[in-house]
Amino acid sequence: MSDVDVLQWVTGLFLLVVAIAWYLSYSAARLDRLHSKVEGALLSLDAQLVRRAESALELAMSGELDPSSALIVADAATASLERHTESLTTEDPLDGANFAGRELVETDLTEALNAALSAEVLADVTSGESPASEAYSRLRASSMRVQMARKFHNEAVREVRRVRAKAVVRVFRLAGYASLPEAVVFDDAVSGMSDLG
Amino acid sequence: MKVGLVCPYSFDVPGGVQFHVRDLAEYLIAQGHEVSVLAPSDDDDVDLPPYFTSCGRAVPVRYNGSVARLTFGPVTSARVGRWLERGDFDLVHLHEPVTPSASIMALWQADVPVVATFHTSTPRSRAMHTFQPLLRPSLEKIRARIAVSEDARLTVRRHLRGDAYVIPNGVHVDRFAQAPRDPRFVGTSQAPTLAFLGRIDEPRKGLAILLEALPVVAARYPGVRILVAGPGDIDEVAKSVPADLRDRVELLGAVSEADKAALLRSVDLYIAPHLGGESFGIVLVEAMAAGAPVVASDLSAFVRVLGSDPAGVTFPAGDAPALAETICRLIADPGERHLLADRGQVRARTFDWSEVASQIMAVYELALDIKDFEPDVLPQAETLWGRLVRSGRSSEED
Repeated sequence: MSDVDVLQWVTGLFLLVVAIAWYLSYSAARLDRLHSKVEGALLSLDAQLVRRAESALELAMSGELDPSSALIVADAATASLERHTESLTTEDPLDGANFAGRELVETDLTEALNAALSAEVLADVTSGESPASEAYSRLRASSMRVQMARKFHNEAVREVRRVRAKAVVRVFRLAGYASLPEAVVFDDAVSGMSDLG
Repeated sequence: MKVGLVCPYSFDVPGGVQFHVRDLAEYLIAQGHEVSVLAPSDDDDVDLPPYFTSCGRAVPVRYNGSVARLTFGPVTSARVGRWLERGDFDLVHLHEPVTPSASIMALWQADVPVVATFHTSTPRSRAMHTFQPLLRPSLEKIRARIAVSEDARLTVRRHLRGDAYVIPNGVHVDRFAQAPRDPRFVGTSQAPTLAFLGRIDEPRKGLAILLEALPVVAARYPGVRILVAGPGDIDEVAKSVPADLRDRVELLGAVSEADKAALLRSVDLYIAPHLGGESFGIVLVEAMAAGAPVVASDLSAFVRVLGSDPAGVTFPAGDAPALAETICRLIADPGERHLLADRGQVRARTFDWSEVASQIMAVYELALDIKDFEPDVLPQAETLWGRLVRSGRSSEED
């Protein structure tokens, strides 16, 4: 083997190593971005859920609902607010990425709201003069944002999981110790919201 | 908020996406936001709004089975980059981000939060499929996806295996609700007027179905008039109408926005006999806003627009006898027409720009929220190395 051949081989090998290193670093950076997107999306979903629970509580306290509906809504809203303070307190928010079983609590709140806000009640609280109308419009806005935030979060989760399923990511452990995020699924369709498009 | 909107189609050519972007931009500006629109334009002499920046001329190209006017090339790409840099936006909102035009270039280059809106329902594209691995890292920059209809959402799910939040197209309801009536278009109980809107030589718009139903209606109401507004070959259509009924059909050609509103405001019924291919049905909303009772084919998009307490009557798509029967029934029943018109005006409010734009604003806020939690992006992001790492021009298999 002549010197030229050796030089060619070494150069080729060097380029290959550089290419692999670039690819690994690129994949790790991409994954890191995706993880922080999931993190941000989850925290924003959490913030919207808190707002939803607060406005539900406000609606329950407005005196516009009959006492038994009000109590049901207040109970579900309080449960949601309490759950919030228990989770998402760790250093790495992705630790709470499984949503810590809050799906049931949030579904309960949605169901309580749907049970309390029948068509007649809705007509009452949206009439404008009602003291509850402001609380209701806040509830509507936050319920819509919960739906949006949940969808955007689940989109981000889907993207992370797609990348993390790749062989190169698994073999080189590019995800580090970050837990695998999971989609958040619960019933967020509060009645009286616009049925658009 | 500083928002950059990107429209992939020529801004000086009329079209659904262009109108949507224009209306959204004007609404946001009126709300006090700083907005800049980037789109191709064909004619630099035409008066374009002050918030508009051109990224070059659009060229007709064959893409995905039809001819579209698109823009591409290094010059456009450099202009997109400059616009992003100068705009210093908080957020960019791209329309049709996977169409090979200005939007995809902005997506490739953007380093601020991205919101994307998908408008069309398109069949699967082979090019999109092969291009996916290359596109995927760019698509991951999108923080929030919007679809303008359930059908557009289905396209997102099929093509990108993702999902989107549905926010419909907006309509300026008041422009229609407060339009003046035009005596030319007002009918009487014996000589009622029916309106049709849409390209007259596009079979999917279904004018042929309405003309097929005409003889039956004319037998009951000899004075009936069908007012047809829309571009297309007028002579060709006139020939398809039987000679004795030819004066029952008035072909108005393409009409202005004001005339369209006046027409919908004046007629006794608005007929939407479309056969398919409609992703949303904005014209139904316009008719409802103007208080015209709607008779529409039972396409899923139309049924959804009319709502759960339907603000219109539907008939099986393509069924001319059923259409004729429905028209005659409604002409004979002014009470039902009033009821439909009232319901329509209520229903149309849900599609008013104020409602639609506030939802879009909520999406912007959420997208910015997500950004706030982001750790400082790679410090070397502005170097060549950073760009390579970031833009991900890799060709790995997903």
